[in-house]
Amino acid sequence: MTEFATAEIRLENLSKHFKDVVAVDDVNLEVEAGSLVCLLGPSGCGKTTTLRMIAGFEDPTSGSIFIGDEDVTELAPYARPSAMVFQSYALFPHMSVYENVAYGLKARRTPKDEIPGKVQEALALMELEGQEEKSPPQLSGGQQQRVALARALVIRPKVLLFDEPLSNLDAQLRVRMRSELRDIQHRLGITSVYVTHDQEEAFSIADLVAIMNKGKLTQLGSPIDLYQRPADRFVAEFVGLSNVVPAELLGSNDRGADIRVFGQEIHSLQPPADPNGPISVVLRPEAIGITGGDDGGIPARVRSLAYVGPLLRYTVAVESDGTEIMVDLSNPSSEEFYEEGAAVSLELPKEVPALLS
Amino acid sequence: MAQTLSLSDRIRSRRPLIIIAVIQIVLLTFIATWVMDIVIVEDTREVVDGVETITFRREMIGDPLLFALAAIGMSLPLLSKRLRREPVMMLAVQLAIVALLIFVLWPVAQVFAEGFQATEVGEGFSLEHFQRLFAKPMVARATRNTLWLGILSATLSTIIGAVVAYALTLTDIPWKRWLRILVVLTLISPPFAVSFAFILLFGRRGLITYDILGIQEWSIYGPDGIILVQLISNIPLAVLILMAVFASMNRDLEDAAEDLGAKTFRVLRTITFPLVTPALLTAWLLNFISSISDFGNPMLIGSGFQLLAPQAYIQRVELFDPELSAALAMLLVIPALIAFALQHQISNRRSYVTITGGARTGHVRNLPGWFKWPLFSIVLFLGLFNLLLYGSIFVGALVNNWGFDYTPTTRNLEALLVTADQLGNSLFVSVVAGVLGGLIGIVLAWLVSRDRFPGRGALDFSGTLMYAIPGTVVGIGFIIAFNAAPYLLTGTFGIIIIAYAFRRLPVALRSGVAGEKQIDPHLEEASLDLGASRPRTFAKITFPLLRTAFLAGVIYIFIRSMTDLSAAVFLSSAKTQLFTVQMFNVMIRGTPSAAAAFAALLIVIILLALAVLGRVTGKSFVDLFRIT
Repeated sequence: MTEFATAEIRLENLSKHFKDVVAVDDVNLEVEAGSLVCLLGPSGCGKTTTLRMIAGFEDPTSGSIFIGDEDVTELAPYARPSAMVFQSYALFPHMSVYENVAYGLKARRTPKDEIPGKVQEALALMELEGQEEKSPPQLSGGQQQRVALARALVIRPKVLLFDEPLSNLDAQLRVRMRSELRDIQHRLGITSVYVTHDQEEAFSIADLVAIMNKGKLTQLGSPIDLYQRPADRFVAEFVGLSNVVPAELLGSNDRGADIRVFGQEIHSLQPPADPNGPISVVLRPEAIGITGGDDGGIPARVRSLAYVGPLLRYTVAVESDGTEIMVDLSNPSSEEFYEEGAAVSLELPKEVPALLS
Repeated sequence: MAQTLSLSDRIRSRRPLIIIAVIQIVLLTFIATWVMDIVIVEDTREVVDGVETITFRREMIGDPLLFALAAIGMSLPLLSKRLRREPVMMLAVQLAIVALLIFVLWPVAQVFAEGFQATEVGEGFSLEHFQRLFAKPMVARATRNTLWLGILSATLSTIIGAVVAYALTLTDIPWKRWLRILVVLTLISPPFAVSFAFILLFGRRGLITYDILGIQEWSIYGPDGIILVQLISNIPLAVLILMAVFASMNRDLEDAAEDLGAKTFRVLRTITFPLVTPALLTAWLLNFISSISDFGNPMLIGSGFQLLAPQAYIQRVELFDPELSAALAMLLVIPALIAFALQHQISNRRSYVTITGGARTGHVRNLPGWFKWPLFSIVLFLGLFNLLLYGSIFVGALVNNWGFDYTPTTRNLEALLVTADQLGNSLFVSVVAGVLGGLIGIVLAWLVSRDRFPGRGALDFSGTLMYAIPGTVVGIGFIIAFNAAPYLLTGTFGIIIIAYAFRRLPVALRSGVAGEKQIDPHLEEASLDLGASRPRTFAKITFPLLRTAFLAGVIYIFIRSMTDLSAAVFLSSAKTQLFTVQMFNVMIRGTPSAAAAFAALLIVIILLALAVLGRVTGKSFVDLFRIT
């Protein structure tokens, strides 16, 4: 399983309308050969429709799809050099594991004597040796997932498509399969498009993440880009930076800007796109300091507190105008516990990466 | 490497259009030669100087209109970009359109065309024509009788069916398991076997009326008898439809009503029945169609009571008035179509019952004794009565001459050997029709439940339409449409097989659509995605997974074809005699015991077919007849 003739994917002005609904709106995207791009967004944002258009299950209303140099827009699904891993795995229930994996080879008229070797190779890659004769319902969720991947890989597609492949697995297995998927994709160097609504999953697996909202591609960037320089409020909130607060512009030049937030002055490493319009700033919950009583920071009052995974998350209301702010503490000491209603003081970071317009 | 692949793919993307163009030409040529023909006819004949000169000319016969309609129908799917890419799908859709057009819509349309001729006016559609038709006393009377009978029979069978279904699902009456089978037993009998059993028990020399009670003045023959027989035949359908609904009803609603202070009857009246109203209407409409379509029972037991379906047969076969026969058939189709359209509306609307997911269902209530035991008696009576009817048929077959001489004998069974030919014909026709109809049903289900393309709705509708068309009308329509050159199907097994396959197609289609809904659509997509073509995907993935639905369709069509009489009386001929027609003749002219042997054999064959179904698919006959 080495010589994969992989190719880049190019979507040009891709749109899909279902009657009155615009599911995908003028999407342009290039997926470099060998890289993995995640389409991330809330349900109904058009990410799955985009993936299904690449696979050929939906016809674009307008625009084109290229795999390598080839325009595949008009090709039927079975004539495209792509293979998909489905959310439900879509393993054929009336066939054994072996028959499932061999299915695509037979359909593509691979010479009969080559099929067993290729199937075994794919099964070995996915560590499924000895499971050949089992039927899919006899396998665990993780094994079914591996069969689905083996079945897609064995036909040596130029492009792999993943439609929320991990959402049927339990939380622990999901994390393990995630890194395994990533390893295999890296090792084979096969161009992949991966659809998910899980921000954490997307950020941990992708080279580039394309955030979609209401059919539009809002921002394409590396996880770090998106985290540090979200293009708009939607992206900021979707990647988990939920404090977006209005700010006052004090002055700006090419290298940055000075702003005032709740009376505190802080610096932005980038100037605002529109110096005359209203601006806001993204404050990451873990970048805000919290202390008890009146400590010279921004006076606020605790609304609620809860453990979110390993984090202690406070929701506080700023005294001056009631704006709610989230603050995360990763390793709180006993004196950092503040009860509901307690008066606290907030310390904002001195620097933020960018501003929202 | 990438370059050469892309080139071959590019060629592949053009190829479909060429293939489709070739298919169009072949298909159109085939249809043209089938529905039209050029014959040489004598033009003039001159005798000059004792030498006779005959000139001939060519003349086209057949149905150019049908050809034009087929061409239009075929052009519809050409509008779909998706189908244009896939020649095999295109061919399948076009074949389906053409088949439904020729074998469903055309024969029914022929009944209308000929029915209008009976109104003795040439052109156009006007109520005047109908007035002229109704001026004939027989026509008016038969129409009135048919509608009244349909309304009365549907209303009574729905009410009784609702009571029985309620008792069998939501109450704690005893023996429910056995009663459930007994009350729907008559579903599997040939329709007219019920009236025959009635004659055995309550006829002029009936076991109960004559031998036990000694009644001689009263008789079962006439409209009362027809209603009784139709009730026994139609209650099971209502019971099945309503049992499914009662069983899936959210019982918390009833408990809530009771909790708020409503007593048993108030709960029934204000909660239970409003919730099942759509199902009640469905049961009523389907029973209405079944009642007005009924041919065998009125023929046997009606004693001259004039109804549309039997009159359409009598006018054509006994009184040789095909136009009047077609007109009667047309009058029969109209209310049936209206009922069918209403039923379609109801089943498309969201039902109250299925909205609540995860609700508590099927919880059995403990009823007060004064309510429970009368309910139980009704259900038990119905169950035992059905058992009695069947028992009389089997016992009747084993006695010398029912009504006169009850000594046991096997001579009636031996006499069946004479009809081995007819039985063979019926089996042959039913098996072929079953497989053909089952295949068409499953392919059609696949086409209409997966991809969207222009004309998909019309395809689904035409595939289901036959459910509303009475057998008599199917028979007359097929005779009119395919009697003359160039078809010359009359008198062949072909016409019977095609008529049966398409007549019972709706159930096979619905069975297939229900099966398709159970399959994860991603399975077919995964197959396509891995490089399998549409036909390969159908053969390797869809069809194997729909095997159960397919087999259910085949067995259903087989049983309905084995027991059909109303279309058979028109379509079977001296060379293609069918078992039911023979049985019908014996019931009218032979001894009751001889006829009972026929009915008993037919019932045994049906039970065998159902046993095969149960063996292979695990479905019971109750599943098979559940159509909504």
